[in-house]
Amino acid sequence: MDLKHILYVEDEPDIQAVAKIALEMVGGFTVKICASGEEALREAVAFAPDMILLDVMMPGMDGPSSLAGLRALPELAAVPIAFMTAKVQPAEVAHLKSLGALDVIPKPFDPMTLATQVCAIWEKRNG
Amino acid sequence: MDERDALKTVQAEIAQLRDRYVARLPAEVTEMTELAGRLKGDENDRPTLDFLRHRLHRLAGSGGTFGFHALGAKARLLEQEVSQWLEDPVLADGPTLEHFGDGIASLATLQGAGPSGPAAVDVAMPPAPASGQPARIWVVDDDELLGGELARLLAQFGYVTRLFTRFDDANAAARAGERPDILILDVLFPDENLNATEALFRGSALDTLGCPLLFVTAFSDFPSQLRAARLGASGFMEKPLDVPKLVDRLERMHDTSPATPHRVLIVDDDVDLAEHYRLVLTAAGMEVAVENLPEQVMERVATFRPELLLLDMYMPGYTGPELATVIRYRDEWLSLPIVYLSAETDLDKQIKALGHGADDFLTKSISDAQLLASVRVRVARSRQLADLMSKDSLTDLLKHARIKEEIDIELTRAQRSGKPVCVAMVDIDHFKLVNDTYGHAVGDRVIRAIAHLLRQRLRKSDGIGRYGGEEFVVVLPECDEVMAKAILEDNRERFGALRFRHEEQEFACTLSAGVACANSGQTVAGGDLLVTADEALYAAKHGGRNQVRIGQVGAKATAGTT
Repeated sequence: MDLKHILYVEDEPDIQAVAKIALEMVGGFTVKICASGEEALREAVAFAPDMILLDVMMPGMDGPSSLAGLRALPELAAVPIAFMTAKVQPAEVAHLKSLGALDVIPKPFDPMTLATQVCAIWEKRNG
Repeated sequence: MDERDALKTVQAEIAQLRDRYVARLPAEVTEMTELAGRLKGDENDRPTLDFLRHRLHRLAGSGGTFGFHALGAKARLLEQEVSQWLEDPVLADGPTLEHFGDGIASLATLQGAGPSGPAAVDVAMPPAPASGQPARIWVVDDDELLGGELARLLAQFGYVTRLFTRFDDANAAARAGERPDILILDVLFPDENLNATEALFRGSALDTLGCPLLFVTAFSDFPSQLRAARLGASGFMEKPLDVPKLVDRLERMHDTSPATPHRVLIVDDDVDLAEHYRLVLTAAGMEVAVENLPEQVMERVATFRPELLLLDMYMPGYTGPELATVIRYRDEWLSLPIVYLSAETDLDKQIKALGHGADDFLTKSISDAQLLASVRVRVARSRQLADLMSKDSLTDLLKHARIKEEIDIELTRAQRSGKPVCVAMVDIDHFKLVNDTYGHAVGDRVIRAIAHLLRQRLRKSDGIGRYGGEEFVVVLPECDEVMAKAILEDNRERFGALRFRHEEQEFACTLSAGVACANSGQTVAGGDLLVTADEALYAAKHGGRNQVRIGQVGAKATAGTT
């Protein structure tokens, strides 16, 4: 299966916009942006994403609780999820991975290489 | 739409977002400063603090995304500060709050520092001219004569210059949305009664240009230099100006070509920690490989060709110093910087470890910022050293042996791609006369001038080397005879137009050049190409100098057989 649909959950409008450009124009993916975990829970199933990117720190539902919520939806139980965060201390990364995330993408990301980073994570989803 | 265009579109889109962000920022900071000013240090602050924390968090994220790393980092620190207060039942006291307010207000100035770091290269260099397009320089100097002379000299090096004799005129142009690629600014403007460093510091349209800034002055007082440093100026040069030196500086400032990423190999059996280091360095735009198995290190070094090795001190079965020694057995890795990473804080043990072929020692409790800084500095220095070894010190061009290598590399590439490649030999006419008449120091200036000119007028992909005293070799990939001739004629004319001065005497020099071309599909040895170019140069000299001649590869051999 190819990576086509990416759901990106992020509350900061500027980063949303840059990520959309980075993933759509550079990566050629179809991207849906949700501004909160709550919105993601409402909209994710209909969008049927191949992969989900979650900001860790968001007001309201944060990244980890969004992940738990999304995982609880049977349609999304197997969809790979990666976190995006500025905190990449080993303990935090290990903790985030233990929650069931495939990987962690450090912020700020480089718009030119974000798509490549996402592809690399996608490649290792089975391995 | 090919890949390059796509890339440009992306960059343009992101630049637009960034511009909007920059435009919005002052109001945002003002609002936050106002809110911070209302903090009393009691429980009623909680909603405000919560709001501020959220705003700072967003600013930290977006600042970094747009390449304003200083701004992002500062916002992140302030965010952490607020988070701590919120967790603490005793909120902050008066002076702490005041300091916090100042911190928020300072965000506005950090934005002025402009974008930096990896994102900046791709995203934030506003209208950087496409390669081959000359850089636009504004010279702002109240001395019309000196400023005019500077503008004229810079124009000879291929820059497009514009002279302002009043600070206010340049300011007005900037306000009107015009922008140069580089700004050269005099410090004192007596007629307008202002010091440019002060004016920029107080806030001026010129400061928002976001382009490299260079001050030139006859009076270099310390406060002005300090303000220049705080403004992030790339240079502070004293008059009278050494123009070749200035051009040298400008070239480095204007070099927008993204540097090749630093390559770092991490050898550590601690998978998590290695992964953390990898993330930190990758986020800063470096190319990083991790090797968890020490026995694989030689192979990994050979295939990945790192510019720096981060080596764990203690791994199961091996120690860092043992591995470093093994690596140093190989001549080609003698200059590879090796840095130990370890929990070791015992200074004696550290010093002992350094005896075994490593260059430095970092303790594992190191902060991300420290790690990044240490790696950056080391790789940069090792690149400088590599440059020193391969580049001519006077001209910064490739040395004899390296330019010959370059010819072979380009020929091999040309044979694969099926594109033509040209080699030219360039020689300054009657150079001995210059040396004899004006002395070697002046001769060196002429040599530096031609080096700068060639670098300025040729493409980034072209190789330029100093072949001998006043002789230069240029390698032009993907370039046919006609193009090569045009390029060299252009350089010949420009060089001839340069005026050199020595003790009130003005003189000019000319150059001769010989070109040899390996056409598409033609198999030629690098040595033959050089010989042909040299013969063409000889013909140019005998034909009266100040001209460019084209040689025919193999022409002589053919003539010999018939």
